[in-house]
Amino acid sequence: MPEVILSVTSLEKSYDDVKAVAGLDFEIEKGECFGLLGPNGAGKSTTLAMLEGMEDPTRGAVQYYGGPLPSDYQTRVGIQFQATALQDFLTPYDNLKLFSSFYDHPVPMDKLIDQFRLQEFLHRDSRHISGGQRQRLLLALALVHNPEIVFLDEPTTGLDPRSRRDLWDVVSALKADGRTLILTTHYMEEAEVLCDELVILSHGKTLLQGAPQQLIADACVSDLDTLFLSLTGETLVKTQEVIE
Amino acid sequence: MTSIIRSVRRMKAVFFARNLEYLRDRASFGWNLVFPVLIVFALALVFSGPPRALFTVTAVASDSLPELLEFPGIETISMNRNKALDRLSRQQTDLVVEVVEDSVRYWVNGNSASGAILELLLKYTEPRPLERGETDGEAIRYVDWVVPGILGMNMMYSALWGVGYVVVRYRQAGYLRRLRATPLTKFEFLSAQVLSRLLVTLTASAIVFVGTNLILDYRMVGSLGLLFLIALVGGLAMITLGLAIACRTESKEFADGLLNAITFPMLLLSGVWFSLDGSPDWVQAIAQVLPLTHLLDAARAVMLDNAGLADITSHLAILLGFCIVGMGLSIKLFKW
Repeated sequence: MPEVILSVTSLEKSYDDVKAVAGLDFEIEKGECFGLLGPNGAGKSTTLAMLEGMEDPTRGAVQYYGGPLPSDYQTRVGIQFQATALQDFLTPYDNLKLFSSFYDHPVPMDKLIDQFRLQEFLHRDSRHISGGQRQRLLLALALVHNPEIVFLDEPTTGLDPRSRRDLWDVVSALKADGRTLILTTHYMEEAEVLCDELVILSHGKTLLQGAPQQLIADACVSDLDTLFLSLTGETLVKTQEVIE
Repeated sequence: MTSIIRSVRRMKAVFFARNLEYLRDRASFGWNLVFPVLIVFALALVFSGPPRALFTVTAVASDSLPELLEFPGIETISMNRNKALDRLSRQQTDLVVEVVEDSVRYWVNGNSASGAILELLLKYTEPRPLERGETDGEAIRYVDWVVPGILGMNMMYSALWGVGYVVVRYRQAGYLRRLRATPLTKFEFLSAQVLSRLLVTLTASAIVFVGTNLILDYRMVGSLGLLFLIALVGGLAMITLGLAIACRTESKEFADGLLNAITFPMLLLSGVWFSLDGSPDWVQAIAQVLPLTHLLDAARAVMLDNAGLADITSHLAILLGFCIVGMGLSIKLFKW
């Protein structure tokens, strides 16, 4: 039976009068790709922040292998934030070197450079690389210490279709490597391709949970976007268009 | 691997990354060197020639001052005797007078022509008995006096903006949040920022100091080691002040406003461009709570008067106090 690596029970997060997450319960198995889906304001990023250990829940708990998050949790997880600036004037090489130095046993830089195909822009100012290259670099930085769990917060937002598919290949390779991946996304197609299990959120609550193909089959619809439309009356694609 | 070695390794990495960022930002790097040099040369040009044409008399606070002080063309300021005599020895004033009971004590600088003229005028105009005192000392050119001010001002801007503004920019851009997701601690991050900026500030100041002195040959009679110590402690005080401002601020605009609100009074009241001697007591009281005042007073004492460590201990102690409070507040309140 697959081992549960992370579990959340009655998870809540409030900011003043606003309840961003309103009582979530789910489990994430080791080695799976787990998706958090929902439109803007659904509570995806807040939930992710609590899973990452970056935010404390207002109520409820996140558990790691059935216990509290260990003090060295940050060394066991790799995080690719939705919007991260890097230091100006530093190249991808400088950034890899900087982040490698934070850990005792970093992955050899050559390996990361090959794995994420950073060679072509390795010595370019990070401000002057494309969106897709930037996401590959951020992913490499998230994996510099060979973490057990990788968090990806909307990793393909703002990328052109080719760069998006490019990144899917990278994420699929990580999945094949046996790593636990937790991602948030606006794109239903992305969730269908990458996720083994997903939770659809709306207003901080779970609308639906299960394997993508199973959810589609159970609802007798053609895809996740249609399913989401039937549940909420809005499409995620539209939400994305508004954002862009 | 011990935690201290790990900690030092991480601090070193952030320190070098910040230095690299600064060195590659050629505009900022160049500006830090070019700006103070331009100001020094511009002021040297504007204020070239003899230090002052106007007679200045310093009166040690007392009533019934000599009639001479009411003559047109004579500027009178008041201050305590020791300060007045210091100014006289640097020829920043031409005559010091003090009324004691029914007689008038006065001091002149034996090297000052203006002092000799004023002494003659005083003898002709003053009916009360006169008691003469004399000091000596060379005249201080404006450039001699203003160079420490410009170097200090440059340190202030470099330290406050180079740390305060940059940390807020990192926070606003989400870079601090990214660093928080690593084992890097607050202390390691803040220490690396302080050390990196200190290196930049001291190096830039040293280059400007040596470069401008080669051409302008301004006065530097004290110990270079002591001057370095003042720059080190003063620079640290400014940097930690910048960190304290940045420790929770989230908006670059707000940080900009706060930094301006702090630098502007220092620019005006710390004696960068002109001496505050003779200004109202409340102005001088405010100046005493500003770190730049102590940095400049200590630097001028060493550069112009050959002051020793004992003479500037109080300034160094106050600057150290700023460092401790600034760093303590920063570590306590810092938010990634």
